Amino acid sequence: MSAAETRTGAARRGLRRPQYWLPVLSLAVFLAGWELVGRGIDPLLFAPPSRVAASFAELARSGELLSAVLTTINTLLLGYGLAILVGIPVGVLLAQSATAGAVLRPYFYGIFATPRVVIVPLIIVWFGVGYPGRLFLVFLWSMIAIATSTADGVRNARPDLVEVARSYGVSRAQIARHVQLPGSVPFVVAGLRIGAERAVVGVIIGEMFLQLTGLGGLIQSKAQSFEPPAVLCAVVIIAVIGTVLILSLDAVERRVSRWKE
Amino acid sequence: MRESKLSLVGITKSFPLAQRRSTDTTRLQVIGGVDLEVAENEFVTVIGPSGCGKTTLLKIIACLLPADSGQVRVDGRTVTEPGPERAMVFQSFGLFPWKTVLDNVRFPLLTRRMPGAEATEVAMTYLRKVGLERFAHSHPHQLSGGMQQRVGLARALATEPDVLLMDEPFGAIDAQTRELMQEELMRLWQETRKTVVFVTHDLDEAVLLADRVLLLSPAPSRVRQLVPVDLPRPRWEYDVRAHPGFAPIRAELWNALRGDLLADRAGQAAS
Amino acid sequence: MTRTPRLTRVANRGSLRRLAPHLGFLATLLVAWQLAASVLDPLVLPSVTSIVAAGFDLVASGELPVALGQSVLLLVLGLLIASAVGLGFGILIGRSRVAHWTLSPYFSALFVIPTVALVPLVLIWFGFGMTGRVIVVVLAGVVPIMLSVSSSLRDEPGELVEVARSFGVRGELALLRTVRLRAAVPVIMSGLRLAVGRAVVGMAVAETYLRLGGIGALIRDYGSLFQTAYVFAAILPLSLLGVGLSALVGLVERHFQGWRS
Repeated sequence: MSAAETRTGAARRGLRRPQYWLPVLSLAVFLAGWELVGRGIDPLLFAPPSRVAASFAELARSGELLSAVLTTINTLLLGYGLAILVGIPVGVLLAQSATAGAVLRPYFYGIFATPRVVIVPLIIVWFGVGYPGRLFLVFLWSMIAIATSTADGVRNARPDLVEVARSYGVSRAQIARHVQLPGSVPFVVAGLRIGAERAVVGVIIGEMFLQLTGLGGLIQSKAQSFEPPAVLCAVVIIAVIGTVLILSLDAVERRVSRWKE
Repeated sequence: MRESKLSLVGITKSFPLAQRRSTDTTRLQVIGGVDLEVAENEFVTVIGPSGCGKTTLLKIIACLLPADSGQVRVDGRTVTEPGPERAMVFQSFGLFPWKTVLDNVRFPLLTRRMPGAEATEVAMTYLRKVGLERFAHSHPHQLSGGMQQRVGLARALATEPDVLLMDEPFGAIDAQTRELMQEELMRLWQETRKTVVFVTHDLDEAVLLADRVLLLSPAPSRVRQLVPVDLPRPRWEYDVRAHPGFAPIRAELWNALRGDLLADRAGQAAS
Repeated sequence: MTRTPRLTRVANRGSLRRLAPHLGFLATLLVAWQLAASVLDPLVLPSVTSIVAAGFDLVASGELPVALGQSVLLLVLGLLIASAVGLGFGILIGRSRVAHWTLSPYFSALFVIPTVALVPLVLIWFGFGMTGRVIVVVLAGVVPIMLSVSSSLRDEPGELVEVARSFGVRGELALLRTVRLRAAVPVIMSGLRLAVGRAVVGMAVAETYLRLGGIGALIRDYGSLFQTAYVFAAILPLSLLGVGLSALVGLVERHFQGWRS
């Protein structure tokens, strides 16, 4: 065993493990470097971490941050929630007919693949500039992701077990409930993840391009007034929201897959 | 003559081959014509070369696949849908991994509108018969292969079918456990007195378990031989392979099978 | 007795039969659209005929081909750079645990932030020219590529490495070239498909935000003029671009996966 290996062997105990202190160290170096470089650059363009922190405190105090966060989270959760409530049943229905699924798929995919930022003019014409339009931007794309993943799951999940159920003369509805739905869980969870990412992007696009409000609106307005620290604050908060969503989904997945233990 | 429990009349089956062009639809005739009468409480094993449609035949009896022609009759009635009177045991066990052992055994009962408590009781009875009552609340992945197949067996028996269809049930199980499972199967069969159609590729197993052995020819398959096995039962109380009657039966089947395999190979080489 | 399996020819089904439901649905959709458009305000839903006319006009005037050309150039440039960067970092992070612990958190953070949210900042820092736009596309596409490269390289491709070593292949770089990268191709391809989707969004956002060329700008211009038929006519090629590129990657993927069943 080399010297390096014995060292790591000892360090492996407790929080001294390299996978803990290396990222922390690199983050410290990164922040320090950022601070040093940032101090020298035009404050209209760049923001060292110290100014970002100051901006954060200021925004929080003025209440601007809180109202932006609430607006964004409201639209996000409602749109995503609706997408789940509609998407999963639609997916199950879609899976019932192979022809229907095959025929509709290209249209779903086409809509899904179109960047929402260019759809905004159409949204304005249909919904006007306001909440319904922003909700639509979150809902539809998230719903498509969830529905197509669910449909894939129900169609493809364990066809061998579907055959087993059929051999016992089980009705189609019961096969769906006892075999296809539990078997499709990994697909559904994957769909929920993609749907969550789509939802977050959707809410920001709505707030930056459709109606200037919420965290997206904050980014836009602060960027236009050349206040990069505030912009960075908003970006960081969006990242936090996204991370929280993903971690929640991980927890949901673990709970639903408990039988695997 | 007493009516057969299970009748197969003129069963044929073909499958489409993978297509190069979409205009190309050639079919492979797997089952060329099979007739079989199985008496009540009889144990019939089915063997034959690979590709002769043993599993396909079983699925046709279960009505999981439609036959091209011919009929399947149970107690004289033609059957076209899967039904409670025929239960199947699968080579890969076919247990639902997200359900507990007990829920797996209960599953076919619940879907027949048996009230929950009653279904649980029936399920536990059969779990006791296969000796797995202690594992009622475990999940399949926590059990060994042999144990999982016993659950599969309990599930099939719990529906109290008339005919038990078994598709190479011990194929995925190690050799030592397999012998124990064969013995257990024979005990259960003796106790519950079902009519059994048992598909296997293992010639020894086929002779060991059966009242009659059905040997299929290579595709398009027909009944090549139907050999009665009148070795004394119960067969776990002595070494069946050492019994003088065992070898001639096995030899007769093996010679026919081997001849078919070699001829088939020669035929394919020539074509 | 010898018997070869009997093959019988059955009357051909034809590929027309398979296309029928798709064509039928498309026809129904177009008819329904035309009918609805005759009742509704052309601002909200332009008729199929007016969209087709707008499309021809855009092509004839050269607006569409020019815009499409600019967009594709931006996209391809961005994807090439993203691939190079993603491959480089992916190899590093995949094969070195130190690199993994120090660098991957930044990529994860980048992944969680919607590209849209970063656009204002990037454009402030790198300017409104081609540089800024290319960087947006790179940021959008680099993370899925990096993740797929690193995760596929981290798993040992079974015994293949042992086999290669036994034939005298020595050194990390050589092993990488002969065995690891080739075995990693399927995963990398799926990462590439994801990256292409995100890159198209990044491209659209960058162009729409700046209104300086490309399809995004074209759509936004006609949108602000409320020429809905032109908006539809311009969105269609963008969707097709996204779908087409994904299909292209899929084809390449299948080519490399030919050896799989």
